[in-house]
Amino acid sequence: MQNQDGLLADAEVEGISSTQASNVDDWENFRDDAIMQQQSSIWAEEAEKIPFVGDKAREPLSSLAAEYQSGSPILLEKIKLLTEEFAAIRRTRGDGNCFFRSFMFSYLERILESQDQEEVHRITGNVENCRRTLQSLGYADFTFEDFFALFLEQLESVLQGNKESISHDELIQRSRDQSVSDYSEWHITHVSTYVTWMRKEDVKHMKFLCAAFLSASPYNVSCLVVMFFRFVTSGEIRKRSEFFEPFILGLTNATVEQFCKSSVEPMGEESDHVHITALSDALGVPIRVVYLDRSSCDAGGVSVNHHDFIPNPPSGGDLPLAAATATAAGGSGGSETIKPFITLLYRPGHYDILYPK
Amino acid sequence: MGPTQRDALSKIACNRLQKELVEWQVNPPSGFKHKVTDNLQRWVIEVNGAPGTLYAGETYQLQVDFPEHYPMEAPQVIFVPPAPLHPHIYSNGHICLDILYDSWSPAMTVSSICISILSMLSSSPVKQRPADNDRYVKNCKNGRSPKETRWWFHDDKV
Repeated sequence: MQNQDGLLADAEVEGISSTQASNVDDWENFRDDAIMQQQSSIWAEEAEKIPFVGDKAREPLSSLAAEYQSGSPILLEKIKLLTEEFAAIRRTRGDGNCFFRSFMFSYLERILESQDQEEVHRITGNVENCRRTLQSLGYADFTFEDFFALFLEQLESVLQGNKESISHDELIQRSRDQSVSDYSEWHITHVSTYVTWMRKEDVKHMKFLCAAFLSASPYNVSCLVVMFFRFVTSGEIRKRSEFFEPFILGLTNATVEQFCKSSVEPMGEESDHVHITALSDALGVPIRVVYLDRSSCDAGGVSVNHHDFIPNPPSGGDLPLAAATATAAGGSGGSETIKPFITLLYRPGHYDILYPK
Repeated sequence: MGPTQRDALSKIACNRLQKELVEWQVNPPSGFKHKVTDNLQRWVIEVNGAPGTLYAGETYQLQVDFPEHYPMEAPQVIFVPPAPLHPHIYSNGHICLDILYDSWSPAMTVSSICISILSMLSSSPVKQRPADNDRYVKNCKNGRSPKETRWWFHDDKV
């Protein structure tokens, strides 16, 4: 993983040039077939190693420690701390969409498990607000409507998971009757080559996983939903451009509009705290990001930092359910009382999904 | 220009393109004319140099080829030679413009591409080829490949 990142980074440095209409040097790099080929082979390798969204059963948190065995002691210490709090990690492919993909999977999985119709109702309202935002910003409906429709379909389909269709029962039955390895074989044969192994507990995810994540096509549902989130994020940033402008200026010299065009809307563009804030606000979904990096506090003690992105509800807008509940429970309801149900692990350049114990 | 890969358009791409075409007909970008054919997958568009610019009074043709997975994948946009003399336009018609490659997004449209290209033409102070034109054109195998940025530096103080 680290090497992959490193290699990719090298390739990027060479290829990064084409961001603005070229000068001579741009094409010097751009025409370099070797670089392009190297990059696409790295992509292919990466794609084989990690599906768009991986299988949590395959990745107990201890696998992280193994990854860093010869690495920094600070990281190992932090992983140890993480292991106390979290049971598993689900990896997402490092293709620049990992934040959105992690968020998507984590959110839909939560709905699948909780069958929380109220939350679906709530977020649907926010999605409608986002649609109006884009319209008022001058986006042609046909540019975003398919992506919106697809996300709403996903919400519905995870709710339908509740109704236990025959095939769904069948799957669970199979998983009970067969040993893990039998099941694995069956699964490989019948479902996909992407997700190769699942625990019984994960079987309920299967229908959803199959529908959404298995195809490698750019029309893979998860790619289209990532694009939906990109629209939503961009709309929110533009709508509140005065709020976001200082943060964007801190990252780049671009204007808000340029930033959205070049760093939010194109697929594969990495997400920063600006993206996370905007998405969390627009959809009203709190997100916790846990940082695994080499930073340590001066006192010498190692602790794992996290940051909670708590939605800033638009006036009169729907408060996220989690927030509302927490507020009710916690009395006066400062933002400290909100506990996000989505937790992502951040390592420089990448987001994965964490599962609490 | 070699033959383009021509996988049939998917249903999503077809729907989207039909909507774009309708929108274009209702509200065409000024300075452009879509030459009507029955081929939804390849649009040929006439570009008129904007008045008051180096290209005033000149007419060029853009060829826009849509991939199977449009709009998730960028269309291929080239000038049909003879291409305008411009520091970012190669003699084989290839255009060096970020939105056609890495910065493409489904939020863009044929119409917005056209507007960007015209603006690129209009802002040119000089009519000339890119300095590396000959070498590029010689080495050219399919002028583009979508790339995705993977690397960034995180400031963990924020």
